[in-house]
This record gives sequence, C-alpha cells and structure tokens, in this order.
Amino acid sequence: MPKSFRLVLSVLVTCVIAATGLALTYGATAPRIEEQKRLAEQRSLEAVMPGATFETAGEADPLVAAAETAAAPVDFVALYRAFSDGQQVGWALRLASRGYAGPMQLVIGLDTSGSVTGVSILSMNETPGLGTKVKSEAWFIEQAGELQPGFTDADVRGTMDAISGATRSSNGVRNGVAAAGRIYLEVLAGEEGEAR
Amino acid sequence: MKEWYAAFRQGLSIENPLTVLMIGLCATLAVSTQVQNAVFMGFAVVFVLTMSNVIVSAFRRQIPTEVRIPIFIVVIASFVTIVDLSMNAFVPGIYQVLGIWIPLIVVNCVILGRAEAFAYHNRVSLSIADGLGMGIGYWSVIVLLAALRELFGTGRIVWFDTALVQLPSGYQPPGLLLLFPGAFLVFGFMIAGSRWANEKLEARKEARACRP
Repeated sequence: MPKSFRLVLSVLVTCVIAATGLALTYGATAPRIEEQKRLAEQRSLEAVMPGATFETAGEADPLVAAAETAAAPVDFVALYRAFSDGQQVGWALRLASRGYAGPMQLVIGLDTSGSVTGVSILSMNETPGLGTKVKSEAWFIEQAGELQPGFTDADVRGTMDAISGATRSSNGVRNGVAAAGRIYLEVLAGEEGEAR
Repeated sequence: MKEWYAAFRQGLSIENPLTVLMIGLCATLAVSTQVQNAVFMGFAVVFVLTMSNVIVSAFRRQIPTEVRIPIFIVVIASFVTIVDLSMNAFVPGIYQVLGIWIPLIVVNCVILGRAEAFAYHNRVSLSIADGLGMGIGYWSVIVLLAALRELFGTGRIVWFDTALVQLPSGYQPPGLLLLFPGAFLVFGFMIAGSRWANEKLEARKEARACRP
C-alpha cells in the first residue's frame, strides 16, 4: 500500500467518524434548539404586548415589503399582527439594529394609535456589564413608552436619554424605536384588519 | 499515581496555559467580562481539552505524523461543535452571550498545543491528567480575571440575575476595566502575581534542598 494512500485514508476515516458523531448530536439537539428559539420569541412578544395573540405577516404580505423600505438603515426581520378577542389591538415588529458589537434583535410593540407598548431585546452581543445596561437598566427602555403617537426620529432622540458609557448600544435601541415609528407612519397606520 | 498527579499539577501552576504559557489569550480576554460567562467558557474548554486529549492519545499510534495536525483539528472541531450545539439547546442564555467564542475554541492554541505537545506522546491516563490540569488551570484564571473585572468594572458580581457581591454604592466603577485595555491591565497584574508566587515557591524548595 503506497504511503500517500495511508495518509489520505487516515484523514478520511477521521472525518467520517467525526461527521457521524456530529450528525447524531445535531439530530438530538435540533428540535430543542428550534423550541428554545420559538420560546424566546414568544416571551419577547408577550413582554411587549401582554395578553395578545400574534399572527406573523407572511412574505407575500404587501406590508412586509413596504416595512422593509421604511425601516432602512435598520434591518426589518418580521411583522406580527396582535389580536385580542378577535380585534386587532396593535402590531409587533422584529428589527435588527446595529449596536456596538453587531446587530441587536429588538421586538417592538405598537398599539393601533402608534404608541410604543413595549420594547424587548431578544438578543445582542454588546459588552457584558457595559452595553448590556440597555437591558439591565429598565428605565432606559421604559422611556420608549413616553413617546406620543405619530412620533418621529427627532422625538425619539429628544425623549430617550442614552446611558452614559453605553452610547452606541443605546443608539442601537433608539434607532430601532425610530425605525418602528417610521414604519408605523409610512406603512401600518390604518391597516388594521380582522383576525383570520 | 505520582506520575499522574505530576502531569495534573503542571497545568495548574508552573505550566499554566494562561499566566505562564500565555496561549489562548484572545478568547480569554474577550469573554472575561462576567463571571457567569467565564465559568461556562471555562467548562467548555475543560471538556474539549480533555476529550480531544483522550482521543488523540488513544489513537496516537494510528495517526500518521505527516497528517497529524489536520486530524487533531477535525477531532477538536467535532468536540467544539458538540459543545456548541448542546449549549445552544440547554443554556441558550449563556450561548447568546458567548456567541462566536465557543466555535473559536477550535483554534484556541491551548487545545491544539496540548494535543501536539502532550497527548500525542503520552498514554491515555496521563493525557487525561494533562487535559484536566490544563483545563482547570485555564478555568481558574479566566474566572478570577472575570471576577476582578466584573467586580471593579460594574461594582457587583451577578450570577443569573442575582447579585452575589455588591460594592458600596459610593463606588464609581471605571468602565475601562470591561473594555479590552482593562483586560490587559488586570491580566498583567495577575501574571505578576503568579510569577511572584511561583518564585516564592521555588525559593522555598531550594532552601529546603540546601538544608543538610
């Protein structure tokens, strides 16, 4: 048996065994990972609008394409209609806004008048203990609740104070809230419908 | 047994991967901002290090020298992916924060270094000792580093949303400690401390040896 053959074979065998092991692990953990993701999203939606049921707007929904345009430069991820007793009570938006260290996934709830009902940070990579203050210091996010219906970018800057030492993380959240305001004004206002 | 203990002890003090060998620093400095994260990062390293040492050592006669590095990397990457998937499934909160640093354990020099320098030339039981010793050495340094940075950088140590230690409210925490320069500063002091302690130990050993 030529030597090179032995070398190739040993690497090949290692890779096959490794791949099998990984496939098994993946198969065992995948459903749980999916479930965890779904739960995290559910918790965030529940937090921004307690008691409502949510319906995701599909890709084909014209509101989705319009919201994507209105959200820029913040990335639009998903739009949900919030219902209570069959009546639409508002909207929830999932946006990815740039913080200090990569995108922060935000879930923002809006009622039918365009006021913010709540903001929840689904995930972020901000510096623990510094940038993560946007989540641990509750007052910061609660400021979004003081915004008047029909708020603009300038209103967000004027109403929401940044956390000192965590300016860029604060800006990530503020830009997200501002994008939600733009989406409401340009796309969502007056588009409420019945539960399907 | 004595040999086993000697191999185990290496990683804890005189060959500590972080304070003495100074390898694998990148991830260490990046995640040591919170004790909670450091603890799980440390566990991940202990697991991957020990498991890869075991496999490399068990098959050291079958692994051809020419292609040992690719084989080590495949073995290490597999264990890292197992840790990555399991953490994602069972501790999603921690997984969120550690993010990219878990997959990056693959290229952590501590693990490849020990596979190459120790496990490839020693029997399985000693390789376990080396993996555990190096792993625990890594774990204790990263947790201590994180404890110092979190305590003095934020004024408290938080473990899953409960404050374990809280400095008096008059303390104004310098945010610098949580950023990279702070990591280097604190780590520098830790290296100095460990050097000092090791020298003391050596001196005591010598004094004992000289005694008639």
